[in-house]
Amino acid sequence: MSPRSTPRHDCAAHGAATRRGPTRRDILGGALALGGVCLLPRWARADDTSAPPRRRTIVLLHLEGGNDGLNTVVPYADAAYSRLRPSLAIERDRVRRLDETTGLHPSLTGLEALWQRKRLAIVEGVGYPDPSLSHFRATEIWHTGQPERAPTHGWIGRALDAHPRQAPLRSVGLATEPPLSLAMSGPGSITMTSFERFRVPSSMQGAASLWRQHADATGLRGDLARAGTEALDVAARLASMSPAGGPYVGPLGDKLRLVESLLVADLDLDAIHLGQGGYDTHSNQTAQHARLLQQLGTNLDVFQRRLEAAKLADRVVVFVFSEFGRRASENLSGGTDHGTAGPVFVIGTGLRPGRHGAPASLAELDRENLVYTTDLRSVQASLLSHAYQIDPAPVVGDFAPLELFA
Amino acid sequence: MRDQMEGERAIAHLLRRTVVAPDAALWAASRGASYDDVVEGLLTQLDAKRPPDPAGFDPYLPGAIQQLWLERMVAGSTPFADRVAFFWHDHFATSDAKIQDPLLMWRQQRLLRDGGGGSWRELLRGVARDVAMIRWLDGNSNRRGHANENFGRELQELFVLGIGRYSEDDVREVARAFTGWGSRHHEFVMRPEFHDDGDKTVHGRTGPFDGDDVIDILLEQPAAAEHLARRLLRWFVTLDPRPEDVSSLADVVRGEDFHLRPVLGYLLRSEAFRDPSCEWALVRSPVDQVVATWRVLGLRALPGWVHASLDRMGQILFRPPSVKGWTQGTGWLSSGALVERLALADRASELALLDGLDAIERLAYGPETPASLVPALAEQGGRDRARLLLGSPEFQRA
Repeated sequence: MSPRSTPRHDCAAHGAATRRGPTRRDILGGALALGGVCLLPRWARADDTSAPPRRRTIVLLHLEGGNDGLNTVVPYADAAYSRLRPSLAIERDRVRRLDETTGLHPSLTGLEALWQRKRLAIVEGVGYPDPSLSHFRATEIWHTGQPERAPTHGWIGRALDAHPRQAPLRSVGLATEPPLSLAMSGPGSITMTSFERFRVPSSMQGAASLWRQHADATGLRGDLARAGTEALDVAARLASMSPAGGPYVGPLGDKLRLVESLLVADLDLDAIHLGQGGYDTHSNQTAQHARLLQQLGTNLDVFQRRLEAAKLADRVVVFVFSEFGRRASENLSGGTDHGTAGPVFVIGTGLRPGRHGAPASLAELDRENLVYTTDLRSVQASLLSHAYQIDPAPVVGDFAPLELFA
Repeated sequence: MRDQMEGERAIAHLLRRTVVAPDAALWAASRGASYDDVVEGLLTQLDAKRPPDPAGFDPYLPGAIQQLWLERMVAGSTPFADRVAFFWHDHFATSDAKIQDPLLMWRQQRLLRDGGGGSWRELLRGVARDVAMIRWLDGNSNRRGHANENFGRELQELFVLGIGRYSEDDVREVARAFTGWGSRHHEFVMRPEFHDDGDKTVHGRTGPFDGDDVIDILLEQPAAAEHLARRLLRWFVTLDPRPEDVSSLADVVRGEDFHLRPVLGYLLRSEAFRDPSCEWALVRSPVDQVVATWRVLGLRALPGWVHASLDRMGQILFRPPSVKGWTQGTGWLSSGALVERLALADRASELALLDGLDAIERLAYGPETPASLVPALAEQGGRDRARLLLGSPEFQRA
């Protein structure tokens, strides 16, 4: 028998799920033994007689290029921080303090506002074993939650495949290339960059009808027919929509405006994926990073306020992540090279605001890189369990969800 | 012996995969010729000197470099060589979104166009000295004692070996070998004061290597020839090449010491290339879709709206989404992109000359129009027939 410790009984005892942390079954076992309903997501409660809640749409926001986590959620009280970053460290008195050890980058006014309104949960030190320092491989891992195998479908896509339902559209990627996070074997995932241009010219109706034929064929002909049918159906619906208003700023603002419009249109989406590029700050990082984070925080704050005003906030949760954090020490070009673990943000109503997980140690680096404290699959498990009310284990494996949600 | 496409069918396939679609003159010259002669004619383009840029050509005019390259693929005298350059652009994907200097992008294009059929080793040496590439992957911040790993990593992961065929130590050591390789204004410079001339250990070999030494060492790795073979097969033949086709092409790559013209010649004549299961099995990229449309319609001039259309379909030359290059296959067929392909067919059909409309079908489909199109075509004439031919799912394939 494994020398497993007695299951813990208090609700707050399992914040961080590390490689050696408690498994989901430990927690469920402990909770059930005590009847500790506080630990159980709704899908696991046998006696829940209330009407099934609506799912939340998961809005995934990928900070593309590898966001510098240490200058985003700043361990300002750790002397090692300023030692590692003689020119890049955020000065103590400029940090937006969250508590006596940790603060936000000075440009993150919007996130600070969300923090104060208890709409922000921060999970620190998120990563996975044997981290990849390649943008592409690391992105694949964050999008699939499968560090140990070649990518097939995304972590969201697999969850949607496991829980099929009748819906014209299940997920939208705001990009020209479909994001891997949403990739699934079933239909219902599309990409778009605007509502415009979804109207098929009337003179092309004949050609358009050809795309709907042979959907049962094998090979590329069938793939084209299915892609075409899906696209034309969705195009017809989207062609009539118009973008939301709101004081969004910059390219990220344009994308969140689209996200808001999709949510307002009540398409009953399970997920929307978007990205904010520019985080690969190998050189002259300070100004660039400040500008990106300013846009990030401001737009997320606008987005959340507008959802709340429209009474949609309880149907949405936002997940902000990056494919890796950056090297703990700065480089000679005023930037930082590719790194490993970093913080993620979860934004919305109904969560347990505050700091979760544990910051990666600045004292014990692995070849200049941070060592993760919380497995990204624990974060993904939390989101799936909360937003979709499903058992996340078949999708992401046996990783204990964090207590991110009330 | 595998099943093989023969005759005009094989030649039509060959032209789709090399020059996207034949124009009327090329189809007339090719349909009666032997397959081998058509291949040889295509390869000869790789030796041909690149035509000079037109008088007064200014790369800094918005869209100018995209326009000139597209025009050459549509109506130039060496469309295959210009499309091989497009393959290399996808392979060494560099974006002007970061470089912000179209002259440098155009110089890189010339490098890829002129060296695209030559020695892979020389091309890699040229790319490692290309100023756009140096800026793209941060060569100027790669200095002794503070190596920037960007180029050292992508050189191995994407350009030469493939992911998983190197260690993190190899990344650091290769980056050290390229320290001091930078640019000043528009020129490559070697800065000895920034170069680390100490010993490096790269793929098990140790010495005071510089960048050229490292390129030689990488090309000695078995993965190098396989990576190039797989890339070529995926671009020109099938997204899912058979392992035995990869390894036999890789053997040719090694046997020819990485000389690309004979490798391409072997590829185009191979049984894998003429396998009927590969016919119509690729999805045309947006650039290919524009080139194919223009060539079968006999159009030469590219109106400005074509660039906006390409953007909406998801592909702008010199603006790949990342150093990994563009997507392939049904990745091109998102809802918005698909609707845009219909709009492109509509607007292009309006531009076609009425007396050229009859030729479209043969140029688009070769000797045999796909059966799935025949009933719909029977009911349409004139421009509406062109709209069906160009807007059909069949015409998005190659």
